[in-house]
Amino acid sequence: MIRLKNVTKIYPPDVVGLQNVNLHIRPGEFVSVVGQSGTGKTTLAKLLIAEERPTKGQIVIGGWDISSIKSSEVPLLRRQIGVVFQDFKLLPKKTVYENVAFALQVCGASHRKIGHIVPQALRIVGLSGKADRYPWQISGGEKQRTVIARSLVHRPKIIVADEPTGNLDSINTREIIDLLKKINEFGTTVVLVTHNREVVNELRRRVITIDRGLIVSDQEEGKYVL
Amino acid sequence: MIVSVSRIVRFALQDFFRNFWLSVATVSVLMLTLVSVNLLVVMNVLGKVALSTVESRVDVSVHFGPEVEESRIQTVKVALLSLPEVRDVEYVSASRALEQFSETHSEDHDIIEALGEVESNPFGGTLIVKARNLEDYPKILSALDEPVYANLIEEKNFDDRRVMIERLEAIAYRVEVFVLAISAIFGLITLLIVLNTIRVSIYTHREEIGIMRLVGASDGFIRGPFYVEAVFWGLLAVILTAALLYPALAVSQPFLRAFFGTEAVDVIGFYNANFLQVFGLQFLLVTLMSLLTTKLATAKYLKV
Ligand SMILES: Nc1ncnc2c1ncn2[C@@H]1O[C@H](COP(=O)(O)OP(=O)(O)O)[C@@H](O)[C@H]1O
Ligand SMILES: [Mg+2]
Repeated sequence: MIRLKNVTKIYPPDVVGLQNVNLHIRPGEFVSVVGQSGTGKTTLAKLLIAEERPTKGQIVIGGWDISSIKSSEVPLLRRQIGVVFQDFKLLPKKTVYENVAFALQVCGASHRKIGHIVPQALRIVGLSGKADRYPWQISGGEKQRTVIARSLVHRPKIIVADEPTGNLDSINTREIIDLLKKINEFGTTVVLVTHNREVVNELRRRVITIDRGLIVSDQEEGKYVL
Repeated sequence: MIVSVSRIVRFALQDFFRNFWLSVATVSVLMLTLVSVNLLVVMNVLGKVALSTVESRVDVSVHFGPEVEESRIQTVKVALLSLPEVRDVEYVSASRALEQFSETHSEDHDIIEALGEVESNPFGGTLIVKARNLEDYPKILSALDEPVYANLIEEKNFDDRRVMIERLEAIAYRVEVFVLAISAIFGLITLLIVLNTIRVSIYTHREEIGIMRLVGASDGFIRGPFYVEAVFWGLLAVILTAALLYPALAVSQPFLRAFFGTEAVDVIGFYNANFLQVFGLQFLLVTLMSLLTTKLATAKYLKV
């Protein structure tokens, strides 16, 4: 599903983002990426969605080499990868429903398709009852669930979540992680970037630890080791 | 496809109203350019009217002696008409010339008295010759110098207004260059303002644009609304300019007619007759201008 070969990312002039990373993530996996701040976790996430290009090496997603993807092809990639970030990135003047629908609208989906998919996505994240609320009328956890619903509308094979619980308390954090687990059970590959020790230890899934741009450990059913 | 286009148009409209005052400023400055362009158009029309008015007053009067019979004058007329340079020849008979003379001098008792003392009509017939072009007059004059005609002709009056026409042309040219320069300056200011408007627009939309990118919106969807908005601006500016121009012309046309002393001044008529070309071209001009600026602005501020 996801394969990185000798991937190095240097931010000009010479800031190291990632160094010689080799990685293989199989379909349906739930992988946590952990590490201290500034070690290259977000860089990895950005490389996966082609927001950054690798300086060296090769990135293949679903058989598609995106190492030097053309900018006109990036939208196609983004429709196959759901993205969830720490800052919620919801439009304040749109309701929960409209925020989710927006992702389909701007990709040219028909009204019928939107009317069909959006309620489904809201149901999955448990926000059917709050579809008409505005972002300021819902909790942080609900905002993040809205973002997850939005990331689901293209039925992605992969979800990349960069510190999705970074701004949330422990109850909301648990809810979001449970939601990601549920989505993973449907068959979606999940890459979860986090530095939350409890989350990782409770998950009992594969853990990749990054330190200063290098993968220092990669364990099935791993623990947060730093 | 249709859904996408209608959505892009809707986004563009939303943006227009979201930055309403900015849109107003942009359309106004586009109108400023258009008004100066229209000033150029009006100047052009008026210049042509002025020239043709003066030109139409240029002619050669050929006076024949009172003894020359009308039939011979008519022969000369036919001969003149056969010259390719001659557009028109008007015959004024001796009696008509006398009438005209008495009319113009009806106040002057001495002259009327003097006329009464002369028993026969002192005037001969007259031919008023108009050339096709101003440059043709010398040829016509030299043709009249040929002995066949010269013996019959008592006097030739050539009302040469070439100096006046040249001055008129020079003035018109200078005014047009001036207005053209102003249009160019307005055009430049417009480009800068449009550039800034789009920059602000991109800035106010940075969240949406960021999300659009994240969720896989195509480039057309992200940039499209800005282009559509540019077309809106152009359309609106042309419509509003036309809406301002017509009343302004209606008010000023009587004054212009009085000033030029001719009903031939019909700027409104010109606009009516050339409505599509004139305003279509102006629409193309401003829209092209703002589209080009949009391309610049999105390339500069909307990096992928
Ligand atoms: N756009 C950028 N330009 C320059 N340096 C960057 C950029 N993004 C990240 N970095 C640097 O790359 C390193 C890794 O950053 P990042 O991947 O964001 O770390 P993490 O997400 O693990 O906190 C850091 O030293 C950071 O300063
Ligand atoms: Mg980070």
